[in-house]
Amino acid sequence: MRAWLKQFWATGDLFVWGCGAGLSLSLLMIGGLLFLILINGFGYFWPSDLIELTLKDGKHVIGQLAGEEVSPKGVPRIRVKVGNRDLYGLDYRWINTDQIVERSRPANLIILERREWGNFYGRVSALHKGDEVVTEGAASIQQALPPLLRQAAVPDSADAYSLLVADANGKEKSIPLEQVLRLLTPNDLSVLGKAWVYIGNVWAVLTTEPREANTEGGIFPAIFGTVMMVLIMTVIVMPFGVIGALYLREYARQGVIVRLVRIAVNNLAGVPSIVFGVFGLGFFVYGVGGTIDALWFSDRLPNPTFGTGGILWASLTLALLTVPVVIVSTEEGLAAVPREYREGSIGLGATKWETIWQVVLPAALPGILTGLILAMARAAGEVAPLMLTGVVKLAPALPIDGAWPFLHLDRKFMHLGFHIYDVGFQSPNVEAAKPMVYVTTLVLILVVVALNLAGIVLRNRVRKKYAGSAV
Amino acid sequence: MSNASPTAADRLLDRHRLRTFTDRFTRAIIIGGGVAIILAILGMCAFLVKEVLPLFQSPDAVQTQPIALSPVSGATSSPVMVGLDEHQELAYVVRGESLEFISISNKSLPQPNSQQQALTAAGSVTAVARALGKDHRLALGTDSGQVIPVSIEFVQEFSGETRSITPSVTTGEPVVVDPARRPIRRLAYQTTESGTRIAAVSEDQHFWLVGSRRVSRPDGTADTSVAQTELTAHISGQITALTFDSRGDTLFVGTDEGTVRQFDLRDPAQPVPAGTSLAFEKGEAVTALAPLIGDRAIAVGSATGQVAVWMPVRESADSNVIRMKAVHRFSPHAGAVTGITISQRDKGFITADAAGEIRLHHSTSEQTLLQLHPQQGPIRNVYFAPKADGIVGVTDTDRVIHYQIQNPHPEITWRTLFFPVWYEGYSEPDLVWQSSSGSDDFEPKLSLTPLIFGTLKGTVFALLLAVPFALLAAIYTAMFMHPSLRAKLKPTIEIMAALPTVVLGFLAGLWFAPVLERNFPAIAAMAIVLPLTIVVSALLFLVLPNSVRRRIRPGAEALLMVPVIIGVIWGCIEANSWWESILFDTPYKAWLEAHLGLRYDQRNALVVGAAMGFAIIPIIYSISEEALSNVPKNLIAGSLALGATRWQTLAHLVLISASPGIFSALMIGLGRAVGETMIVLMATGNTPIMDWSAFNGFRTLSANIAVEIPEAPHGGTLYRTLFLAGLLLFLVTFVINTGAELIRQRLRAKYSQF
Repeated sequence: MRAWLKQFWATGDLFVWGCGAGLSLSLLMIGGLLFLILINGFGYFWPSDLIELTLKDGKHVIGQLAGEEVSPKGVPRIRVKVGNRDLYGLDYRWINTDQIVERSRPANLIILERREWGNFYGRVSALHKGDEVVTEGAASIQQALPPLLRQAAVPDSADAYSLLVADANGKEKSIPLEQVLRLLTPNDLSVLGKAWVYIGNVWAVLTTEPREANTEGGIFPAIFGTVMMVLIMTVIVMPFGVIGALYLREYARQGVIVRLVRIAVNNLAGVPSIVFGVFGLGFFVYGVGGTIDALWFSDRLPNPTFGTGGILWASLTLALLTVPVVIVSTEEGLAAVPREYREGSIGLGATKWETIWQVVLPAALPGILTGLILAMARAAGEVAPLMLTGVVKLAPALPIDGAWPFLHLDRKFMHLGFHIYDVGFQSPNVEAAKPMVYVTTLVLILVVVALNLAGIVLRNRVRKKYAGSAV
Repeated sequence: MSNASPTAADRLLDRHRLRTFTDRFTRAIIIGGGVAIILAILGMCAFLVKEVLPLFQSPDAVQTQPIALSPVSGATSSPVMVGLDEHQELAYVVRGESLEFISISNKSLPQPNSQQQALTAAGSVTAVARALGKDHRLALGTDSGQVIPVSIEFVQEFSGETRSITPSVTTGEPVVVDPARRPIRRLAYQTTESGTRIAAVSEDQHFWLVGSRRVSRPDGTADTSVAQTELTAHISGQITALTFDSRGDTLFVGTDEGTVRQFDLRDPAQPVPAGTSLAFEKGEAVTALAPLIGDRAIAVGSATGQVAVWMPVRESADSNVIRMKAVHRFSPHAGAVTGITISQRDKGFITADAAGEIRLHHSTSEQTLLQLHPQQGPIRNVYFAPKADGIVGVTDTDRVIHYQIQNPHPEITWRTLFFPVWYEGYSEPDLVWQSSSGSDDFEPKLSLTPLIFGTLKGTVFALLLAVPFALLAAIYTAMFMHPSLRAKLKPTIEIMAALPTVVLGFLAGLWFAPVLERNFPAIAAMAIVLPLTIVVSALLFLVLPNSVRRRIRPGAEALLMVPVIIGVIWGCIEANSWWESILFDTPYKAWLEAHLGLRYDQRNALVVGAAMGFAIIPIIYSISEEALSNVPKNLIAGSLALGATRWQTLAHLVLISASPGIFSALMIGLGRAVGETMIVLMATGNTPIMDWSAFNGFRTLSANIAVEIPEAPHGGTLYRTLFLAGLLLFLVTFVINTGAELIRQRLRAKYSQF
């Protein structure tokens, strides 16, 4: 036994297992996190069935099942999204399972997507034009509705259309058609039909404007703002990063100073992003922006034009944040170009610049691109510096439009990451906003992961390509 | 070559010149650009320093030319009062019955640059007092026992861009204060919304209080009731200083015995004595009194030049007895303190003495900011300009002295930023961050220590979670894992490193925090059960017959553990209420409160630790994995060849030679955790408290910047303090990262020898 124990300690198999468990736990955590986001994000678009519950007290509840659990007191209960915020105040409701007498899925239940107050769940009885009834019954209303919804709404006119709907307990309500976005009967839809609705929902979220304090509708301005900001940043960071790297690798005399500078630049990537935000606010917004205002926009003062946060300052701040990434990666790319290339070029009579421009840079291009893509990925996910330099919860206009000068660098913008923070933590009805946050998170993660994957794949290729030839 | 035409040779030469030029040109651009970019990057630190420095600059005072007053008969004996408008253009001086306006900036008055007028014909003026506040409301005491209110207003007029200021003087109805018509020797005066208060000492130390109260009737008319009380009996010794607070609710009386007596005047008809305190140990006469803005603290000056700030303090944290206590003391003047005037902006005040010196103090930060020597003889009266940016005074030699003052950040010193400070209303010095509040006379409390504490707390919790996982995973990947798996794993971890922290913060705050709150007993149990399970399953595997063991290839342990771990986690959560009853008591929150005295907040340090740990696991993992797997293979091969097991090789060779690399990985992870903003912002309550409890929140330097800077006015004290927080973060992370990088480079150089 003692010998066995001694051998057991010597082999250390226990510790190996411990290490293995550490790794698997880490992987499980990543997996679980991604799974959580994917399920919640992708689940948001699915038009799940409406259920009608009959309770012990005779009341009815219509809604979508949103979760099941055992309450802290040990009673099993379900969570139902009941919608109808205008009638009930809350979107979600807990119902103890022992209160439920019957669950059913009648085909005539509807989801009415509205501009205000969130979704309406219930039944539809009639479509009115002014006071007269146009048509009755869910099926025929659904037929008649799409062309009407496409027409420009005429609010408050006497012959405006309206829908007569009723909630689970038969309480009637008339909803003007200009409030209505869409009418769905999920219980009536086949899986294919639901898939079609699903695709439509995804499209709608990606392309439409937010509604109801960002908690519903789409996230198009946030996507647009993120992409725009990253693009402007890329345009700025690329020349600077490449020139910096060219200087450090090709022109500067290698020595202690360059080594120290390299370490310093490298370490700048580890400086907290909020510090860049503080710098951006003080230097770009108040310093440079304030000066621009004083020189060229003094007629608009004291309302600032450039002396307040805007997409240009945010992009510049992020460019500063990511320039070390580009420099390091470009330097790596330059260093990987084999010496023979340069020697061959110089030997054939090319000047140094010709060698760099025609031989070295093309060979180092994948390295530069890797750096750029990683920089874009980092920039797309940063939020803290943006909060100080120009991101807003709801931008009145996109940074690009048809009015001269088309690209408005002074405008504030929306951003996916900030959208998550704002909707998830600053909105009055966090419960109702959560699904939207998951969707935004999903989109942001997809963007960042895609950019990163591209960067990593590119980098691995570069490394392989030059692995043999470097001397 | 000889056949080549001269033009072709020229062309070649031109081309050569162009190429050389291009080469030189680009060279210049790249070198210039490169240096500029590197300087710009490094200039960040310089810019932050530039924004922070004004916080610590000592204030600036510029003296303007002293102005001689017009001669007045009997001026040396008559009382003097000086004042200044808010733009520091016009000063006024009251000497006895005469009021004189003097143009300080030589702009507002035509030649001659002073105007003199008589204030009253009701008798000769024997005392002057000024009410606290932004307005210039004075009271004159006469030799016939009367008090005459005088109000001076400065009216601004603009003609185009130029501003002119015209004074207007209103003299009110005299009030008889001493029915015996004795001359008034000392006076205090205060106007409030509901009426006026006058305290006067007449000849032979008769002490009078007159309070008028205006009561509005429902029909819109108002009725003024005047109450006169003699307080002589309450005072022992000679009265040497008198003042009201700005609301007129308290009267402070200083005597030549060194005591300060308080009267509660909330009902002016019935003043209530509210305690006496000894202002100076040696019983020196109190010569000047002034309540600081906010009416809580009072600045006291003595006949020997001592200056102190007194305020009501609870005797101990849980007692209800409140005493006046000398909380801040300042370096003494050379002569008797002749006047104290408070700042309308902050807790600052100026003192003047009989030796001819003026000092500017700040109460809370307990510093004397300026010592001014106008060299014009003893100073009889001083006034602090309404915007706290100027001082005027009148000297014995009938000269008006004036200073322009630049003092933007009086409340900030290294001590107030990092050490306990005794704020008004606190029973002891404390470390507080509280930058704003609803009320006007609120004093911002800007101590960075609670935020530094919060940063450390968050970092410690994050490292506690991240380090074990990251190191174990790195060791396993570098030493035991199959290479093909490893190639797939590294990009996965890199992507994990790139996950936006706002996503982690959101999940921590909105998903993990409620889950943890609901399943805390189960998750606490996991900390015990998981390691046990791992030990047990490893032992089980070891006692398996060799035939089975051989079929599992080495390096697959991690995969085998996955289902086990999932099972344990699921089991623990399912048995949550059982664990709750075993480990704690149902409900666990009450148990924590009762047994450990800890309150459970939903968004607490554990949640942040988990999320931030998650964020730094990939960094620590990548760098330490690199350090471990770069240990020269021939060393490992040698160790294994000598008969060491892979565990012995790891423990005695690999870990030791890679330890500097692992250390630098920890440093870089720490640097990342210190500066992380979004996770902390979203996953804690952001309350700046100092408490190590795992169940409550905290506020970090970085989150504090994100929360506060949008509301901080550009160039203000809060703004610069937040820049200081940013600079601190910058320096800390920069030093940590540089250290880590140097260690890594040395390690690489060492490995390359093999």
